[in-house]
Amino acid sequence: MRQIRPGLHGWANEMNAWSLGRWVAVMALATALAACSSSKPAAQNPQAGTGPGGMNEGNLGSGGGSSLSQFQHGTLGAPGSGGPLTDIHFDFDDYTIRPQDGEILRNNARWLTDHGNTRVQVEGHTDERGSEEYNLALGAKRAQAAKDYLTTLGVSSDRISTISYGKELPLCTEHDEDCWAQNRRDHFVVQGAQ
Amino acid sequence: MILFSERRAQALIGWGVALMLAAVTLGLRNAAADEITFTIVGPAKVSRIAVSQLKNLGGDDDGTVSGQFIHTLKRDLQLSGFFKIIDPHSYIEKAQDSGFTLGQFNFADWSSLGAEFLVKGSVTANEQQISIQAFLFDVAAQRQMAGKQYTGSNEDVSRMANRFADTILQQVTGTKGPFDSRIAMVSARGGRFKQIYTMDVDGGNLYKVTNNDTINLFPSFDRRVHRVLYTSYKSGAPGLYVYELDTRREIRIPSPGGSLIGGTMMPGGDSVVAAVEAGGATNLYLLGLDGTVLRQLTHGASINVSPAVSPDGSQLAFTSDRGGSPQVYVMSISGGAARRLTYKGNYNTNPAFSPDGTQIAYQSRSGGAFEIYRIPAGGGSPLLVTQGQHPAWSPDGRYIAFSIGRGSGLGLYLIQGQGGTVVGNLTTQEDGNATDPAWSSWLGE
Repeated sequence: MRQIRPGLHGWANEMNAWSLGRWVAVMALATALAACSSSKPAAQNPQAGTGPGGMNEGNLGSGGGSSLSQFQHGTLGAPGSGGPLTDIHFDFDDYTIRPQDGEILRNNARWLTDHGNTRVQVEGHTDERGSEEYNLALGAKRAQAAKDYLTTLGVSSDRISTISYGKELPLCTEHDEDCWAQNRRDHFVVQGAQ
Repeated sequence: MILFSERRAQALIGWGVALMLAAVTLGLRNAAADEITFTIVGPAKVSRIAVSQLKNLGGDDDGTVSGQFIHTLKRDLQLSGFFKIIDPHSYIEKAQDSGFTLGQFNFADWSSLGAEFLVKGSVTANEQQISIQAFLFDVAAQRQMAGKQYTGSNEDVSRMANRFADTILQQVTGTKGPFDSRIAMVSARGGRFKQIYTMDVDGGNLYKVTNNDTINLFPSFDRRVHRVLYTSYKSGAPGLYVYELDTRREIRIPSPGGSLIGGTMMPGGDSVVAAVEAGGATNLYLLGLDGTVLRQLTHGASINVSPAVSPDGSQLAFTSDRGGSPQVYVMSISGGAARRLTYKGNYNTNPAFSPDGTQIAYQSRSGGAFEIYRIPAGGGSPLLVTQGQHPAWSPDGRYIAFSIGRGSGLGLYLIQGQGGTVVGNLTTQEDGNATDPAWSSWLGE
């Protein structure tokens, strides 16, 4: 006689436990959202970043937060979800900054210099080709490449964090080069005051 | 507490339930003498097998238990690729009206259907316990090949069937089957978020390990199938989590510095090989579950990911772009230099060791799609297995589970000598997408 693992069965009698877990997760998310919206009031404002007052502090959170947060809210890739900084793009399986993206990074660096009390998270993304884990590492390389570039332009490295989402959060879900090219990107999320 | 036991049928004397089964004990004991004889069937041979319903000896009047046992057993036998199941509508004798032990039924009723093998058995059920006897017969030789007695709860019935399927494969092919095991996978079924699930090989007993609105990836088991390691973004950033199946408790492995973006469980379950990203470089580390660095395995600025550990825990295979493109490398888990294993193709990744450690399956990008190859772990020529991704070996080393297309489902490939064939789908599009299978060891005695 032996004891069997609970993971092998018992789906039905685990419903209560899972329901509770789900409820806890929902409450945690709700709490996080409340915290998010209280620290970034402009994120709830559809006019954020578009009016003449777009340079006030309240608009720094526009863009709806990280790509993961946007994915969770179903707004990833939606118009106006980009934030004040511009994405850069990469060649397949490559993480070098392309010459045409240097100008974008200089503009981003200028914005960050003008808003010295902000922090930025650089998100590295890849297209859907290749394996998930390799793409996570490749996305990290892309994020780091932009961080290094911004640092050489005078933005303090303390203000720049990086994260990779690999191929997990595509902006575009068609299976063609146009789409892949859009997805091979660094996205810059302004995180408000330090 | 849930208890489940399996005994060779001749060993059931002394078992409580044996009293009511005393009438059949003599037949079971006679069967024991035959158990060491195997019929070895060539790998390309598909045998015709008849699978009769279980005879209800009490408590299964509506046939629920019998139905579940037979359904699972048939699905396993079909997935194995070694059997064609004879249509039950053609069966001449009715399970309930005939015997299920040697001498209690007429082999001619089965040989006339062209059956080479026959499964019969019985079920006794009450509120506390289910008892199933299952027998495999060689129809031409009119001989019993195996007899098993299983006792357990309602929830154990499909596992009893999985174990008997493994026994049937042992008897018919000479190698025990892989069905008393679990498969972990990544699936977004029913939602947008990738979750970790575990399931039986036939897709039954689906169990949801994660339930969060983020990204969950890369499941792997320890050898005892007590723990599942996976990567999750549930804290907002990637991290490694160890979920304990017994207790449903979970720990997050603390990062020794940098992001833990992937990893695999060491067979012993008390350490992991983690892919740690820091400053854009991703290197592999042997970590304790408390985040202690036991050994840094790779060094430098390149990408080193997708660790796979040989079942004896001695060898590490992984993907690195140190040579300019993603390729599979092998090194000792105790450290030292890594040896490049793959040279064909410019994008080779997701290595997986066969259970005996002699072969590595991996995926190779060819045109726009991935193909799975296998190659001797010591180096050699790769053999094409199938189109697909995420190879995972069965515990008997005879099958490779893999992802089909863009996450539409999981396929099962049967290796036969230098060749092989896709024998079935573990999950289908209707089950929701599924990728990245990890196949556990046998669940044990």
